[in-house]
Amino acid sequence: MSGRRALDSGLRLEIDRIACDAYGTCAELLPEGIDLDEWGYPIVAPGNVPLHLVDHAKRAVDACPVLAMRLVRAEASASVPIPPPAPVLAVRPDRTEGTPPWPPRPQSRAPKRSPEDRRRR
Amino acid sequence: MTARLLDGPAPSAGAESLGDHRARLGDLPGRTERSHLIPLLDSAGLLGRGGAGFPVGRKWGSVAGRAKGDAVVLANGAEGEPLSHKDRVLMASRPHLVIDGLELAAEAVGARRAVLYVGSEHAQARAALERALAERDANRSRTLPRIPVSVATPPVSYVAGEESAAVHFVNAGDPRPTTVPPRPFEKGVGGKPTLVQNVESLAHAALIARFGDAWYREAGQAATKGTALVTVTGGTRPGVLEIELGTTIGEVAQWAGVVAGEGSPVLLGGYFGGLVAGADAWGLPLDPAVLRGHGTAFGAGVVAFMGDETCGVTTTARIMDYMAGSSAAQCGPCVFGLRSVADASARVATGQPRQDDLARLRGWSQSIAGRGACRLPDGATGLLASSLRVYEADWASHQHHRRCSVRRGAARAAS
Repeated sequence: MSGRRALDSGLRLEIDRIACDAYGTCAELLPEGIDLDEWGYPIVAPGNVPLHLVDHAKRAVDACPVLAMRLVRAEASASVPIPPPAPVLAVRPDRTEGTPPWPPRPQSRAPKRSPEDRRRR
Repeated sequence: MTARLLDGPAPSAGAESLGDHRARLGDLPGRTERSHLIPLLDSAGLLGRGGAGFPVGRKWGSVAGRAKGDAVVLANGAEGEPLSHKDRVLMASRPHLVIDGLELAAEAVGARRAVLYVGSEHAQARAALERALAERDANRSRTLPRIPVSVATPPVSYVAGEESAAVHFVNAGDPRPTTVPPRPFEKGVGGKPTLVQNVESLAHAALIARFGDAWYREAGQAATKGTALVTVTGGTRPGVLEIELGTTIGEVAQWAGVVAGEGSPVLLGGYFGGLVAGADAWGLPLDPAVLRGHGTAFGAGVVAFMGDETCGVTTTARIMDYMAGSSAAQCGPCVFGLRSVADASARVATGQPRQDDLARLRGWSQSIAGRGACRLPDGATGLLASSLRVYEADWASHQHHRRCSVRRGAARAAS
């Protein structure tokens, strides 16, 4: 999250993407950890919040007008061990019916809601 | 032999009756044996078949291990993936195997209610399951405790099969994903911990309960054991088939009557998946672990052969348009990002690119993933990234020369 070596707070920022409405307050209050994309939605720097930025992060969380951000304890992510591949033998596939259209045809219907329709600040 | 789920009468013969099902597979084991089903699924190594490939035993364990109260089990047969047909074939031809799995899951996790969640477009599957429920009501086996099973039919929608969307639909009639956490296994249908499990996974569980983990692991030619249903498209003889995991793409191509296409790319997993260059694909085993190591995914078991006559740029643009139209219109990066991706892809495909379209597509293929409530943006941009890689020369030709190498002429709107 920052260029220098920083102490890990063990906390990370979590965004409720449905609630987020691109106010951009978070990026103003925590520019070290949050960038905005071209539509104004936050891009959170990977990893945990460094200890020296926790106060700023809390302020950004509190200032969000739609309360779309939380500071949560980071959990170790569980991973499934992958065994090595074994040699491939023969196969006897069994056929059934069912054939989806391929390649896809152009869609004729309009999207449910165009970006322009969406309420902006 | 590879036929397990689809062993017995041909699926085209329609739904297997309760009598035929019991005569062919026998009764489920007794209560004592069934009480060890979760560890049995763990040692079998069964992975979920809805697309994410999460270990089934662990998923059941997370609901069974709740602190208190009862739970709900939801059999996910939404199958909104446009290239996949395997779940509807299974539901329509082996309804009792799916319901066996549902009832076993309900018993194993202590659920007192179960839901069959079937896409409303899968009319045959739904009819088969409803008939099967009526047959079971009329001819109850005393093996499993009886619990109420309801049928829910979400409208045609790509995201309706996402597990939080399934719970949302059953609770509130709205098949759109919700923000997680809480995840369904913590708080789902009726606020109760809910196991959401794909119908194929449940059917495998019903066989493992009968025949055991060692039997299940007898099939499987690479890292991951067992069989899987796959939907194959693009050859002269497409269809749904059951394979041993680890069967190579080349073997499936042969089955599907793909001749000229050797060396042309293959779309694996579905619209959520990724393209693999033909040169790499033919010897590649259809095995979740191996495919993950190759930067692609087994997903929902879709194998779509692109063929030499298919323009990869045009196909990708159509898929992106479908994905943008499938957005539940809830999360900004998905609403704006996928629409921008679809529009830029369409311009490049039809020979009307803006100067920076290709560069922006490359950027979006990396910057949108992980920023939605569900994984629709991840799936769409993952497919885009693989297309930009596999069809690199075609994208460049469309962008810089407005020419399509497949049509051997100017890129333009498809007729």
